[in-house]
Amino acid sequence: MSSKEILSWIMNQFNDTVELTYKPLELDNKKITVLYIKSLIDQELFQKYILQPFFEIDSEEKLQVYLMALPQFQEVPSKEEGLLYVMEGNVLVEIQENLYAIDFKLSKNSDVNSTSVETTIHGSELALSDNLMTNINIIRSFYHEPSLTIEYFLKGEVNKPKVAVIYDQEKVKTTALEMIKEKLKEIDKQVITESPQFSNFLNQKRFSLFPQMLLTERPDRIVYNLAGGKIVLLVDGSPQCMMAPVVFFDFMTTMEDNYHTFVISNYLKLLRYLGIFVCLLLPGIYIGAASFSPEVFRTEFMLTIAGSRMGVPFTSFVEVLFMLFFMELLLEASIRLPKAISATAATVGGLILGTAVTEAALASSIMVIIVSAVAISTFVIPVNEMAFAIRIVRLLLIVVASIFGLAGLTLGFLCLVMYLVNQTSFGEPFLRVYNYRKENKKSEGEA
Amino acid sequence: MLKTVKTKFFILASISSLILLSGCGEFKDIDKMVFVSMIGIDESGNPDKPYKIILKLYVPTSSFKQNPAPEYTYLIKEGLTMDETISLLESHIDKELDFGHSKLIVVGEKMLQNKKNKVILDFLIRRPDIQMISYFAVGRPNAEEIVKFAPAGETALQPTIFNYFDNSGAETSYIVTSFVFDFRRRMKEDGISPILPIVEMDESKTHFIINKSIVLEEDKPPYELDSEKTLLVKLLSNEAKSIFYEVKREDELFVTRLDTIKPHYTVDIKDNHKVSIKVDIKLAGIITESKNSLRNKELPRYSKLLDEEMKEKVTSIINELKREGYDPIGFGLSLNSHTLPKNRMNDKEWLSAFQNADVEVKVDSSLKSTGSIQ
Repeated sequence: MSSKEILSWIMNQFNDTVELTYKPLELDNKKITVLYIKSLIDQELFQKYILQPFFEIDSEEKLQVYLMALPQFQEVPSKEEGLLYVMEGNVLVEIQENLYAIDFKLSKNSDVNSTSVETTIHGSELALSDNLMTNINIIRSFYHEPSLTIEYFLKGEVNKPKVAVIYDQEKVKTTALEMIKEKLKEIDKQVITESPQFSNFLNQKRFSLFPQMLLTERPDRIVYNLAGGKIVLLVDGSPQCMMAPVVFFDFMTTMEDNYHTFVISNYLKLLRYLGIFVCLLLPGIYIGAASFSPEVFRTEFMLTIAGSRMGVPFTSFVEVLFMLFFMELLLEASIRLPKAISATAATVGGLILGTAVTEAALASSIMVIIVSAVAISTFVIPVNEMAFAIRIVRLLLIVVASIFGLAGLTLGFLCLVMYLVNQTSFGEPFLRVYNYRKENKKSEGEA
Repeated sequence: MLKTVKTKFFILASISSLILLSGCGEFKDIDKMVFVSMIGIDESGNPDKPYKIILKLYVPTSSFKQNPAPEYTYLIKEGLTMDETISLLESHIDKELDFGHSKLIVVGEKMLQNKKNKVILDFLIRRPDIQMISYFAVGRPNAEEIVKFAPAGETALQPTIFNYFDNSGAETSYIVTSFVFDFRRRMKEDGISPILPIVEMDESKTHFIINKSIVLEEDKPPYELDSEKTLLVKLLSNEAKSIFYEVKREDELFVTRLDTIKPHYTVDIKDNHKVSIKVDIKLAGIITESKNSLRNKELPRYSKLLDEEMKEKVTSIINELKREGYDPIGFGLSLNSHTLPKNRMNDKEWLSAFQNADVEVKVDSSLKSTGSIQ
C-alpha cells in the first residue's frame, strides 16, 4: 500500500470530522503532505520543527534526512498504526513516497500531582501525574537499571488507552509476569479509564474480598516494589498504578517505615497491627461479651457495661449495627463531599452521633466509645483498599458473633485466616509471612 | 456446572443447619442478667430446710460519679438442698442470675463444725457457672452477716473484701487466700489439709478483720489458728512476701521487717522408720523498731537472736500441728511426692508417723541494717 493510499484511507476513517487537517505543501522542488488533528498537537512545535525547516532547507532529500533525525520521528509500518499515530497526536508527514509520524503530542495533564491518598510526614510529597509518559519518566529517573523493561499494550475497544507494564527483567517473578500478560490478552472491555480497574479485570474470581493488586500513587513505593520484583501496571490518564503480585503484609506497610529509625518504625508497625485487630474484632467482642459470656471481663467493667446499657431499647448487636451503619454513612459522606463541607459534616455527625445518641439512650456510652475506636483504627490501615476489605470482614464477624458469641467470633476469625491462606495473588501465596525466605528475596515484593 | 450446583447445595445445607444450632450459650443481653457478687451459705437451724443461701447481687449503675455509694440487693432463702434453693431464688428476680462474677463464697462457721464442707464443695464443683477461681472463706459468726456487711469506705462496684484476698490491695501476710479449686485439691489430696481464712468484723462494725485461719481435716473438728500461727503457716508454705516479726530476747526488744523469706523443708523416712522433718528457713531484712538503741556492729548478734526466736516459734507451731494431726503445709504430700506408690503410707499410718515425727528447724537470717541513718 503506498503512502498516498494510506493517507486517503486514514482520511476516510475520519470522513466528516473537521478536526483533521490535511495539507499538501509545495515549494520550488519540495513537496510534502502533512496530516494531523489540530487539537492534539503542539502547534508551536509543529511550526518550529516542520514548517520552518520546510522553508529553509533547499532540497527534498535534505528535508527527509532532517525529519529522520528528529527525536520525535517514527516509522509508519501499516495503515492501522498510522491511524493510531494520528489519534495519539502525531503529525503524519509524507515525503518522497514515504510516510513518517512525528510525535508532537500536546499534553496538558503532565503536571505531577501531590500525594493525596498516601500522605506521609517524611519522604516525598510528589505523586504520579495523569500522563503516562511523565509517569514513566518519573519511574525511569528514579530507577536507573538497564534491565527495567516497559511493554505497551492497547486495551479497551473504544477509548484505547495506552497500558504500560513495567518490570525489572532481572528481578521479576516470571510466572507472575506471564500470568499477567496472559490475562491482559484476555481483557475484552469497551472502556478503560483508570488503572484500578485492572485489579478486577485481571482477577478471574468473581467474588473476591481482598485486593489482589496494590494500588499506589507514590513513585518511591513503585521504585521500591520494582526492585522487589513486582510488576507495575500504568494506564495513560490515570494518576495511580497497580502492582502485583502482593502479599497481605504489603498492605500494612507504608513507605515511611523505611524512613524512620528501627525502633520507631517497629513501634508504628505494632500500632498498625493492633489497630487492625481492634477494628476487626472489637464490635464482635462487645457483642460476644455483653450477650453471651459476661464472665470474660473484669467485674467492674461488666457492671459498667450493664449499667450503661440500662434503658437502651435494642439488643447489643442491633446497637452495634445501628451505630456502625451511621459511622459508615458518615465515612462515605465525607469522601463525596467537597473538602470545605466534609470537615463540618464529620464534626456535626460525630457530635450528634456521639452525645445525642447516648442522651437519647439509643446506644450505650460504651458503644459510642467502641464505634469511635473502630473508626479511628480503620484509618490506621495504610492502604485504602485493605481498609475497605476489613470493613466488610468486620460486618461478617459481627454477624457471626451475634449468632454464636465469643466462640463464634474466634471461629470466624480462624475462617478469615484460612481464607487468606487460601488466596493467591498471581501465583504468590497471599498470606506469606514477610520475607520469610532469604533466597527468594529477589522475586519477592518487599514493600 | 456440577461443581457450582454442589457448592450451592452445600451453602444452603450448612446455612439451614446453622440456624437450627443454638450456638454456645443463649443470646441474652447483659442488662437482662444480674450478677452475683458473693454467695453465703449458712445453717438455718431448721431440720427440714437445713441450708440458708444468701446471694449478694450487684446493682449496676450507669455512672460511677452519679452513684458512688455501694448498692446491693440480697436474695435469701432456706431450703433442703442448695441447688433447689438457688433455682427457687431465680424465681424471686426478673433477670437471670449469673454466677460468673461471684468472687467469694462465704461459709458459716457452724457449717464447718457440722462437717458440711463436703456437701458444699460438691455443690460448688458441680455447678458449671460457679468459677473455680472464687475465694473460699469462713464467716464468723455466720455467713449472712459477713455477706451483708459493707464496710466503711466501700464504693460502688468494688466490694472491698476481694481486695483482702487478691494481693492487689492488702499485702499482709496474715491473710490466707484459698481458692475453690485449691480447697478442693486439698480436700481430695492425702497429706495436705485445707486451710481457710476466717472473716470477722470489728466490734464497731466498720471493717473486716481477716487474720485468723481454720484448718480442716477429715473426721476431725476444725482447728483454728490465731493470727501469729497463721503467719507462721503462711511463712512455711512459702506464701509470705514480707513480714514484721518481733524479737524479744536477752533484754533486747526489736521488730524486724523481713523481705526475703526462703523456707525449705524436706520430709524423709529414716532407717528406723521414723519420719523426720527438716525445715531450713533463710531470712533477710532490716530492723524497723527497737526499744534499746542498736549498733550496726552488733547486727550478727541481732540476727542470731532472730534465729533463735524464729526457731523456737516455728518448732512449736510444727509440733502443735503434728500433735493435733493437721497438716496445712503439706509435709505428707511432700513425702508422697518422692516415694514410690507401693511404699506410700495410708492415711492412718501417715497420721501416726506424722505425730511421732522428728522436727528439726534451722533458721539462717541476716539483718542488713538497724534501720537508722547514722
